[in-house]
Amino acid sequence: MPEVKVANLSKRFGDNAVLRDITFTIADGEFFTLLGPSGCGKSTTLACIAGLERPTSGGITVGAATFVGAGTFVPPEGRNLGMVFQSYALWPHMTVAQNLAMPLKIRKVDRREQHTLIAEALAKVGLAELTDRYPHQLSGGQQQRVALARALVYSPSVLLLDEPLSNLDAQLREQARAWLKRLQEELGITTVYVTHDQEEALALSDRVAVMSQGDMVQIGTPEEIYETPATAEVAAFVGRCNFLTGTVTGPREVRLDCTGQTITVPAGAAPAGAHVTVAIRPERLEPLPAGRTAPADVNVLITQVLTNSYVGSRHEYGLRLGDHVIQAETTRPGLTGEVTLVVEPAACLLYPATGALPQDAEALTTIAQ
Amino acid sequence: MTTLSPPRPPARPPQHPPHPSPRYRRPLGLAREGWLQYGVLLLLAVLVLAPVVPTLYQSFLDRPLYEAGGVLGAGNYVRLFTEAGFGQVVLNTALFAGLTTVLSLLIAVPMAVVVVRTRLPGGRVFAAAMQWPFFISSLILGFGWITMYGPAGFVSVEVRQALGFLPWNLYSIPGMALTEAVALAPIVYTFCANALRQSDASLEAAAQVCGAGPLRILRSVVLPLLRPPVVYSSILVISMSVETLSVPLLFGQPVGINVFSTFLYRNGLQSINPDYGVLGAASAIILVVTVSLVALQARLLKNAQRFVSVRGKATRPRPLDLGWLRWVSVAALAFYVVMGALIPIGGLVFRSFTQVFTPLQSPFRTLTGDNYERVFTYPVYVQSIVNSLLVAAIGAVLVSVLSLLAVMVARRSTFRFARAVEYLALAPQAMPGIIVGIGLFWALAFAGLGSLIQGTLWALIIGFGLRALPSGFGSISPSVMQIGRELDDAARVSGADWLRTFTRILAALLRPAFAGALILTFVTLLKEYSPAVFLASADSNVIGTTMLELWVQGNTGSVAALAGLQIAITAAFVGLAGLLLKGRNNDA
Repeated sequence: MPEVKVANLSKRFGDNAVLRDITFTIADGEFFTLLGPSGCGKSTTLACIAGLERPTSGGITVGAATFVGAGTFVPPEGRNLGMVFQSYALWPHMTVAQNLAMPLKIRKVDRREQHTLIAEALAKVGLAELTDRYPHQLSGGQQQRVALARALVYSPSVLLLDEPLSNLDAQLREQARAWLKRLQEELGITTVYVTHDQEEALALSDRVAVMSQGDMVQIGTPEEIYETPATAEVAAFVGRCNFLTGTVTGPREVRLDCTGQTITVPAGAAPAGAHVTVAIRPERLEPLPAGRTAPADVNVLITQVLTNSYVGSRHEYGLRLGDHVIQAETTRPGLTGEVTLVVEPAACLLYPATGALPQDAEALTTIAQ
Repeated sequence: MTTLSPPRPPARPPQHPPHPSPRYRRPLGLAREGWLQYGVLLLLAVLVLAPVVPTLYQSFLDRPLYEAGGVLGAGNYVRLFTEAGFGQVVLNTALFAGLTTVLSLLIAVPMAVVVVRTRLPGGRVFAAAMQWPFFISSLILGFGWITMYGPAGFVSVEVRQALGFLPWNLYSIPGMALTEAVALAPIVYTFCANALRQSDASLEAAAQVCGAGPLRILRSVVLPLLRPPVVYSSILVISMSVETLSVPLLFGQPVGINVFSTFLYRNGLQSINPDYGVLGAASAIILVVTVSLVALQARLLKNAQRFVSVRGKATRPRPLDLGWLRWVSVAALAFYVVMGALIPIGGLVFRSFTQVFTPLQSPFRTLTGDNYERVFTYPVYVQSIVNSLLVAAIGAVLVSVLSLLAVMVARRSTFRFARAVEYLALAPQAMPGIIVGIGLFWALAFAGLGSLIQGTLWALIIGFGLRALPSGFGSISPSVMQIGRELDDAARVSGADWLRTFTRILAALLRPAFAGALILTFVTLLKEYSPAVFLASADSNVIGTTMLELWVQGNTGSVAALAGLQIAITAAFVGLAGLLLKGRNNDA
């Protein structure tokens, strides 16, 4: 299994740049995910790897083979990749077996071997008995697994998955996710996965690449992406986050706009006087039990409970902090009235104060005085 | 819980030798699909330019373009407006097209609104009845109208007896426009009805909640929504009435009213020594008019939603109740269908079974099969029927294949000139049939192929086929757009090149669309005749040209018989094809 190298990939449609200078390398056998909101360019990147789109500039190599480079462009049929599409794209006029046989027939594999390969591929996805069904006679989950079997049956060098789980219903999706992870680990095939579902990306991937408006924003392990987002945008997109604006007043101090109080932040932040955005994950805001005093080295926020939503495993509180609404997640039930929240300085992430949230979201988290 | 989840994959997958991607031959360094795509582009370009370029060239040439020593100049255009009286022709055409458009809008827009949006007794029957022009050519409609409403027509004579005078004159520009409007109203109807069906039902519901009554809803909500289809179909009707030959030829020619198409007909065919320069100049001007109309239409359509998916909406709009007004609507609808189409066509068919057709003497007394017998005893008439069928059958197959290839290249390839292929395939929309005839005639003469192809059925197949190409393209294109692009992509990634993706995947999925295109182009080709006016010889007449010849000879009985036969053939073919297609669908 070879490694995939994408270098300085750009794609423009007329004046509209959909990909800008995308560079990454996927290690042999790695599960690599392209994550981002719709329109960020993740599917275009995948289509460029597959050969379905021709990039405006840049290079793509898989192992020793150059797919896209100076003067070369290998068409999709010459790349020997496996791909699963969002709609599964099973050919409706062919049975499951015929769908799987197509790529083998094209490769002139002899009939006996075709039979074994198809049976094996279907066994891998647990559908050995469905060979003679037509796609419309299968459930969504079965179609998705047939599509996967079709992408694997000719032992491609790289597996490309374009939101393969997004058409399954919620419960099946979680199980299919776990199953896909096991299958990929056992096959050891280099996999490029595209999704807009951040939970899926964190759960499945060895590494995640977050894209936004045609730019590569951050590449890292799921932990790195979640714990230390490179930008406020990544913090907003991966997991939930509270954003509070403020001004830097000292080496480790920020005065919040909403209350005027000063909180302690990690060292090495912006110079004094700079406007910044402080990002805090809801689960890092801890309500202080009544009658206890907070330790000296944590930040203390005095808030009023506005709403309390019970979402099963935990409680989500909407709290008022000055003219702002912030979210806190905890297992503690029944908080009302005034609540003191504590948050470690290390959990306060600092970003330049350029609108991390879109304007409507900003409006929804502000309370008119 | 565990039974729901997919089984665990086997622990260690068996290793197989990898199966590398297939290799495809690239003759002369160009991929296989490249050859096909350039081939389609070249063929379309030759077909479309063949009638246009000689026409433009001829328009600036002082003698027939196949004669040596021609000198280029604008003399033809000067002569066109001075000696040939083209100014009056332009005026007539403008009046005719304008009046036709106004009348067809007046007929069709209210009709679409009441049929689609109100509760109407027999609404479905009326909706189905609006498809009649599919079966009946405007030439036959013209014959039918003259037979019933012409100066000596059946209805006219009755009315003159009752009133002492005839309150209308069919052989005038308003008479021509009314007939043409009746023929073209279904086009306006189709556009408006589709727009109304796709419009959001909640818009009307919102007006209803605000307290608006049915008539106010129609006026304030429904009609404004119709502006785009009305504009678009008006331009279509203008361009079709600018190029039509049938009605102006039958109604205008006897009283000397000339429009574009009859001007070409008269100067090209009826004069003993045709002035090709003037003919070329007139054709060039007409082409400029029709091309700009079609270009305008394409522009407008681009801004409107181009391809609306056919998936049905969950909420059907609730039809409005018009109260007593609905009976007025039904009466008006019935009047259009009965007086516009049913009586003329029925009368024409009745005419074909009688010797003398006038209310002065009961036609039942002269019932006869003579008209049909005459058609079948003269070999030239039988030959024209056979020719029509041959041209329609061979032409339908060729046009459908070319349309399918053109759609595939235009819509489903990364071919550099995909756009050009689409424009070329749709360009014949802007080419009046009679100009296609003249242009091909010159092209064949110029290329020295005159003796080989001129006057044969192949000349007709090329001319008619060119005219039918846009309908073929238009009928296949939406079906291709409905097939998800991911099906192609999946095949490409699996190792199929463009050509193989087409043969293995899309060809099978497009079979019903191809059958539909075959039926549509067959019927279109069977009704076509105007290019044949210039391209046909005595041996290669088709039903349409034979009917015109017989009409000029005053042999109306045989004209009626041929018209009856053409309608019968069309109906039988469509019925049979429908049955075959239905049977196939049930099998699947």
